Amino acid sequence: MNPEGWREGYDEGEWKIALVFILPLALTVFVFICLPVMGTFWNSLFRDVSYLPKMWVGFQNYGKVFKDPNFFPALFFTLAFSIVAVTLETFFGLLFALLLNESFPGRTFLRAIILIPWAIPTIVSAKVWKLVYEYSYGVMNVLVRGLGLSGEKINWLGTSGGAFWALIFADVWKTTPFVVLLVLAGLQAIPEDLYKQAMIDGAGLWRRFYKITLPLVLPVLLVSMIFRTIDSLRMFDLVYVLTGGGPGGSTQTLSFLGYRYFVNDRFGLGSTVSVITFGISFAVTLLYLKFGKFRERLK
Amino acid sequence: MKTCNLYHGAFRVFCLFFFLESLSFLNGCGPSERLTFMVGGAPNEISCWEKVLADFALETGIKVDLIRQTTDSDQRKQGILLALRGKNADPDVMLLDVGWIGQIAASEWLEPLESHGIDGSAFFPSVVRLADTYKGRLIGLPLYVDGGLLYFRKDLLEKHGFPSSPTSWDNLKICAKTIQDKERAGNPNFWGFVWQGAQYEGLTCNALEYFVSAGGGFIDEKGSPIFDSAANLKALTFMTSLIQTDKISPPNTFTDMKEEEVRQVFHQGNALFERNWPYAWSLHQTAGSPVRGKVGLTCLPGFDNLEGASTLGGWHIVISRFSDRKKDAAAFVTFVTSSLLQKRFSLELGWNPGRMSVYDDADVLEKNPALGALKQAFLNAVPRPGLPCYSEMSLILQKYINGALSGNLAPQIALQTTQKEVEEVLKEYEP
Amino acid sequence: MREEHVKRLLVLAGSLLLLIFALGPFGWMLIVSFADRPDFLATREFSFSLQNYVDVLTSPSLHFTDYVWNSLSVSFGASFLVNLFALPAAYAISRLRFPGRILIPIVILAVSMFPQISIVGYLFDLFSRLNLVNSKIGLIFPYIAWTIPLALWINLSYMQQIPNDLDKAGLIDGASRWKILSKIIIPTALPGVFSAFLLTFIACFNEFLFALMLSIDYTAQTLPVGIALFEGLHGEIPWGNLMAASALASVPLIVLTLIFQKYIVGGLMGGAVKG
Repeated sequence: MNPEGWREGYDEGEWKIALVFILPLALTVFVFICLPVMGTFWNSLFRDVSYLPKMWVGFQNYGKVFKDPNFFPALFFTLAFSIVAVTLETFFGLLFALLLNESFPGRTFLRAIILIPWAIPTIVSAKVWKLVYEYSYGVMNVLVRGLGLSGEKINWLGTSGGAFWALIFADVWKTTPFVVLLVLAGLQAIPEDLYKQAMIDGAGLWRRFYKITLPLVLPVLLVSMIFRTIDSLRMFDLVYVLTGGGPGGSTQTLSFLGYRYFVNDRFGLGSTVSVITFGISFAVTLLYLKFGKFRERLK
Repeated sequence: MKTCNLYHGAFRVFCLFFFLESLSFLNGCGPSERLTFMVGGAPNEISCWEKVLADFALETGIKVDLIRQTTDSDQRKQGILLALRGKNADPDVMLLDVGWIGQIAASEWLEPLESHGIDGSAFFPSVVRLADTYKGRLIGLPLYVDGGLLYFRKDLLEKHGFPSSPTSWDNLKICAKTIQDKERAGNPNFWGFVWQGAQYEGLTCNALEYFVSAGGGFIDEKGSPIFDSAANLKALTFMTSLIQTDKISPPNTFTDMKEEEVRQVFHQGNALFERNWPYAWSLHQTAGSPVRGKVGLTCLPGFDNLEGASTLGGWHIVISRFSDRKKDAAAFVTFVTSSLLQKRFSLELGWNPGRMSVYDDADVLEKNPALGALKQAFLNAVPRPGLPCYSEMSLILQKYINGALSGNLAPQIALQTTQKEVEEVLKEYEP
Repeated sequence: MREEHVKRLLVLAGSLLLLIFALGPFGWMLIVSFADRPDFLATREFSFSLQNYVDVLTSPSLHFTDYVWNSLSVSFGASFLVNLFALPAAYAISRLRFPGRILIPIVILAVSMFPQISIVGYLFDLFSRLNLVNSKIGLIFPYIAWTIPLALWINLSYMQQIPNDLDKAGLIDGASRWKILSKIIIPTALPGVFSAFLLTFIACFNEFLFALMLSIDYTAQTLPVGIALFEGLHGEIPWGNLMAASALASVPLIVLTLIFQKYIVGGLMGGAVKG
């Protein structure tokens, strides 16, 4: 026992206790994450189709997946979706966070209701948006015709462009609150004095934002953007309900593609897409860890 | 302290919930040996099934649990496929679309029925031979048989001076366009022709009808794909023109229109022609229906002088090989395919029975006089390819046909790409 | 001052936008759920009706209550277990000095932010061999894996904010680390633990892909799956029923979020930013 010097260096007995404390979690991670990921990789090396016997094919499945005309469109769609969605979420997140950082009557109420989109299950929100885009009697068509923007009813989900933006709006609606909270925390950490000094120096509203707020909130924005990117890359729920991958398979994300392979009893190819998706997600996660300064936060 | 009480209270609630939950897990620990029946369909069909299950329980004392699925055929297939591949004991009995029964049988997931005393001789022989037999054994029974049909508003045809329903696609187009233009004055939501064009299995069924009636089709006698042909191109161009150029089919045909959506439009009086399965007939004729008494039923038209085609549809009842109550499941299958129940399904839901004797029944013919002619149609209906890779083939076809319908893809390219990709898939299924 | 006016205008405009943004779709869901016919915008007639809710709650073949119970129990179980494992680990990382103190959590985090599709195929095959497909216990395992990063990071953030003096005092008194954790730290960290539990609970409740692929029927399917596959009970256009089911699925979560705002916001903000 070393009560005085327990802060210095490594305590001999400590690592044994640490092991006991960490073991359950580490074991869980290994058994429930590492093993399945490795298992999926192993499965991707076999042809596993319907009733045909499981057969070793090495990396042939990867070749097949790359040649599948669904694959690269799905990859590009997933990337495009992530980039656009994250950009818009960050934009609106920053906007609303700036708003909620000011003091005005009703701020508490607004701070409360901003959580509503976040609280609603993704599937539920997808169904609501599907109703909104409904051709015959959805809100969008009624609004658009009521405001005189279009004479005819628009088939929102009927074009790949329309479906893309429909998904984006639904996603941005759901995830902006999360960004708002993160950015708000970052904004609140900016000392009031900086603004006071700037006002004394005669800086206007825009100048204060551009020179003080933006630079100081940029690290938070960056971290939130990368985190949201990881999440966007695994988008499945909205696609399943809102577009089913259509029209013409133009709104399939990588996860949706994998799912399609699995439920058509082509498990080998499904595993292959799963591995590829994991690889992409892992790469972005590494970026997240680098920029999130996790090493510093742990010290 | 207030916080202390809050935590104490929360802790108590926590423990209670935890206790209740552990009970629930113990309950769901082992397979609970229910006799389950998995089926989807329109809401009125589900209500009918609930009554059938109740009657079965009354008669035999065996309680059957209904697992309800959606109307969407693809979603039903996904649910069934996961259950079978997962070797789950439930569902014990299920309905399979005739389009997938080949693949599922080949995966050896179905229980042969003869050993349970079930015999298929009273049912349509061609259907039983093509769909319900695997390696010489009976693995399913046709619960009902379907074929695509043309519904029409006989009152509107009469009103606008058309003597009879069209027998060629070109005549249908002319008729629909003329009447649509006239009816639009009073009803801006009126459409000439509604059919299933969304990207799902139903589109494949519709496409097959157009293709075959133009002289084309999906595969030849040897099982090789023949998508890229002049006849198919003519058919696909026609289908696309219905939506994009002639505008007698609504623009959301290729995004939303499935069976129920199509039926809704016709049911509300907003369509002149409807391509749908026979089930829609009794719904159109219910009391309070806006089109009651105004509907006619006939075979689909063909191109030029060729005969129209009708895709063989229908659902077959099967028993899972992993069922834990096979004897009771067999009793249920026997009950549901008996003459009595086949007649009941026909009268209540407008289904066309798989059992042939029902077609000669007086009550049934009175309610649905078209049934006599339908029997003949079903004897000659065009089946979808019974290949094990059919579902993948269908997916490819759906995607590109749908693309063509949306106007984004040239029909020629759509067919060529389909041909190429299906050939790729077939290579993978070579053992 | 002109700036005051501009600011006031911006705040007003922003507030309005936020109001529409947050409440719009949700409000629409509620309106349609209380309508007799969901196409009232086209038919221009709206009549208030509770029939949709009655249908959803009382129809036996819909199994709505089964879905709710499944979601609640699986989410509860998974949240409980994952936090049970994450708490001691968070304590060790924030307090004890051992080799790998920084590396281990980073590795765990790196691996834990995986897309569901990456493991669901393998899990399906594994579960079908173990007869765990369509079971609530089966679902708990991927849910635990799914929420590990959240649980670890939120607990860690809160732990780091608790001063070491408490530990020091306990150590001087001769208590073991385990006792310090359970008797001293946990009571102090209770808001953090509660935050973590709440957030992991909500994450499990919302999860869809695992539940979709690893369950077959209402014995194990969760609420999101039930709603995604829900097509209405009767009547011609099912949106009314669907919106009623959606409202029933969302309102408890919304109420939970609004009541425990402080914990949720604290957890989310502390979880990813230096708080």
